[in-house]
Amino acid sequence: MACTITNPSVSDEKDKKGETMSGRVIVITSGKGGVGKTTTNANIGTALARAGKKVVMIDTDLGLRNLDLLLGLENRIVYTIVDVVEERCKLKQALVKDKKNPNLCLLAAAQTRDKTAVTEEQLKNICEELKKDFDFILVDCPAGIEQGFQNAVAGASEAIVVTTPEMSAVRDADRIIGLLEAREEIKSYKLLLNRVRPNLIKSNDMMSVDDVVEILSAQLIGIIPEDTGIITSTNKGEPIVNDEKSLAGQAYKNVAKRIMGEEVPFLNLEEDNGVVAKVKRFFSHLIGKEQ
Amino acid sequence: MKDIFTDLYNKVLGFFRQTDKKEDNAKDIACNRLRVVLMQDRTNLTPELMEKMRQELIDLLSKYVEMDKEALELNFEQEGNQMALMLSIPVLRAKDEAEIERELAKEQAEKESREAENSGEKSEESEDAVQDNGVIEIVEETPTGEIVSTEETVTECIEIVEPENEKEKVE
Repeated sequence: MACTITNPSVSDEKDKKGETMSGRVIVITSGKGGVGKTTTNANIGTALARAGKKVVMIDTDLGLRNLDLLLGLENRIVYTIVDVVEERCKLKQALVKDKKNPNLCLLAAAQTRDKTAVTEEQLKNICEELKKDFDFILVDCPAGIEQGFQNAVAGASEAIVVTTPEMSAVRDADRIIGLLEAREEIKSYKLLLNRVRPNLIKSNDMMSVDDVVEILSAQLIGIIPEDTGIITSTNKGEPIVNDEKSLAGQAYKNVAKRIMGEEVPFLNLEEDNGVVAKVKRFFSHLIGKEQ
Repeated sequence: MKDIFTDLYNKVLGFFRQTDKKEDNAKDIACNRLRVVLMQDRTNLTPELMEKMRQELIDLLSKYVEMDKEALELNFEQEGNQMALMLSIPVLRAKDEAEIERELAKEQAEKESREAENSGEKSEESEDAVQDNGVIEIVEETPTGEIVSTEETVTECIEIVEPENEKEKVE
């Protein structure tokens, strides 16, 4: 009960649970490939589930599914979204539960089919159905602006546009924002700046967070620093938010908090950049490893 | 450890770089290039429309100057905080007054004959629109904003471009 006093969002959730739940459908998109859509999806989803929310992630990247790998669930998939659509199984049967967190589910994409196997209408229906049982439905969108994108966006009412401070990623994000603005069902979209490198920004070799925000004139929901830990976490099939020491993990947790309506200041990446802090982090990292 | 050294290296390098011109660093170049490319992406000016605009400007300007039509460039560029439509015209020779008058008279005669021939109102209208469009674009988007009349616009553009052109030739 202490929770209800300190955290108003939890009490909200409890009110909702009394009636039928109406979850928020958030599409995570970027236009350009390789900027970290799927990583973002896995981490935000895990962070939300860790905060006690019921979360389902839908991988709509038919033929190129990867979300299962990032979550370490690749061996547990029996049915995919295409099986649901073609009525070979019930929607609930196709949901794969996360290994650690029972609040977290995955609806995997079919690996052997292409983007035409699921229509916009079908995806919309799936989202509507899932809204009843989950707080958050995170839709992992394929790269590009073709049918796969249109499908992924169809059921969503919010969007997170992932980009990096690189020209091509920013340009593609701008294009995606234009397309999102054209879709009535998308009520709001926010920008997530991934793979930020404070060193390069400091030496004026990379666009700063402010530069990108100004150029795209979009609202920011998160700044994720470049982190080599992402590679190891992907290799292990364990989202980096589960690593308490990781800066990127902390940044993703903050994004999840902002999604839940909390006001969290952005991580000060500059501070961490000093030589002294670096040395400190280096040693604390060594000690951490030995334990 | 490697991180510490790269950080130090960046700091030392950054210290010397501060004396550089502001726009020389990669970040500002990226920002400026992006602003321009996004402006093009966001407008409905397709390559076909840009080409049409280019062609119409050539038709208009060649009444007054003799120019290298192939080398004429029309691009969006960033001028500080303002977007500018830059027209670069390699001028071969400025026409003298008599030539220009002859050209204008010829055009006038053509127009009249066309009007007389049939109900060629449509073609006349479109031609007027062509001229207006070309001029308005330049006047609106030239950052100096000092230009008032059509003829001045044309001469000013030429003046700006001529030295550049000479430089290119020298190189």
